[in-house]
Amino acid sequence: MSRVTFDSVKAGDALPPITHPVNQDAFWRYAVASLDYNPLHTNPEWVKTAQPFKVPYTVAHGMMTMSFMTTVVTNWAYASGLKLTKIAAKFTKPVAPGWTIKCTGTITEKHVICPGKNYVIVETKAVNQDEEMVAFGEARVLFPD
Amino acid sequence: MSRKEMERFVQTEKQKQFDNNFFSAAENYEAWEEIDFKNAEEIDGENTYEIKAEDLKSYAQACFDQNPLMNDEEAAKKSVWGGLVPHPIFVTPIAFWCIGTKGRGNWIRIPGARNPGQEIEIYENFRVGETIHIKIKPYDRYIKRGKYYMINQIDMYNQNNVKKCSWFITLILPRTKEDIRSFIKGQRGYQD
Repeated sequence: MSRVTFDSVKAGDALPPITHPVNQDAFWRYAVASLDYNPLHTNPEWVKTAQPFKVPYTVAHGMMTMSFMTTVVTNWAYASGLKLTKIAAKFTKPVAPGWTIKCTGTITEKHVICPGKNYVIVETKAVNQDEEMVAFGEARVLFPD
Repeated sequence: MSRKEMERFVQTEKQKQFDNNFFSAAENYEAWEEIDFKNAEEIDGENTYEIKAEDLKSYAQACFDQNPLMNDEEAAKKSVWGGLVPHPIFVTPIAFWCIGTKGRGNWIRIPGARNPGQEIEIYENFRVGETIHIKIKPYDRYIKRGKYYMINQIDMYNQNNVKKCSWFITLILPRTKEDIRSFIKGQRGYQD
């Protein structure tokens, strides 16, 4: 992949998407790695009656979905030495085990400041296999030279 | 049953040491209405986090992220980054480790707490070998459409007091201690 430069990007550019199927094993693995053992992600028996999201099954960590969305940006940015300086996301639909999550990113703003301070805004989105949105967000990516 | 299933994935030293039973200290967790905004000074987290290569790799793999910069120490060393690069959401295990179970911010462990979205400002990437400490303060608390939102500001610093990031950590919480107790009993602790 050729190096990404500030001159080479423009608003409207789409970043390569990623897709991940998720299941209870993925939730458990993420719980261990993130240290977030909230039972709404990890305990199928507890969630049948506790139902924090009013559904009787476990749901994915929002931070896992946010991680997928961020990976769309880092896959594009990091090899070229670009820096993420801000990431934000809102979660719109709980992700159930057995779903497939597709994440996309599009450059929507190009901030022309000066060399070393130029940056872009990437709007990110995550949808499930039925194209229902589960999260949206944005990342700020700095071009350091 | 799920506890045994999860043990298959435990790899790192911190994962082995971490108190992963979010029910056991739940009586001490701050419910939404109990959080003290009169004392809004920032305080230190309970623990510090020494970053090891295994921590960064474990997190990347749990996100299915195969970027060699996050997984391959040799490849990362030869890159512009000079070493392993953390996944940006690696702030998550740092927060859970450093906040601990007893003090301010322990509401992130409440069984049933819901995540509506997050915002993280990154000043400098974490690096293997750094020891991270956090400063926490209550930032905002509000009610929206019948749900109770709480935000703490968590600033993360390395051993040289270089600020690495700021995280406005937001969750929807049970309003009262009784609501938390409902969740502990396996009953719904929300009224929305």
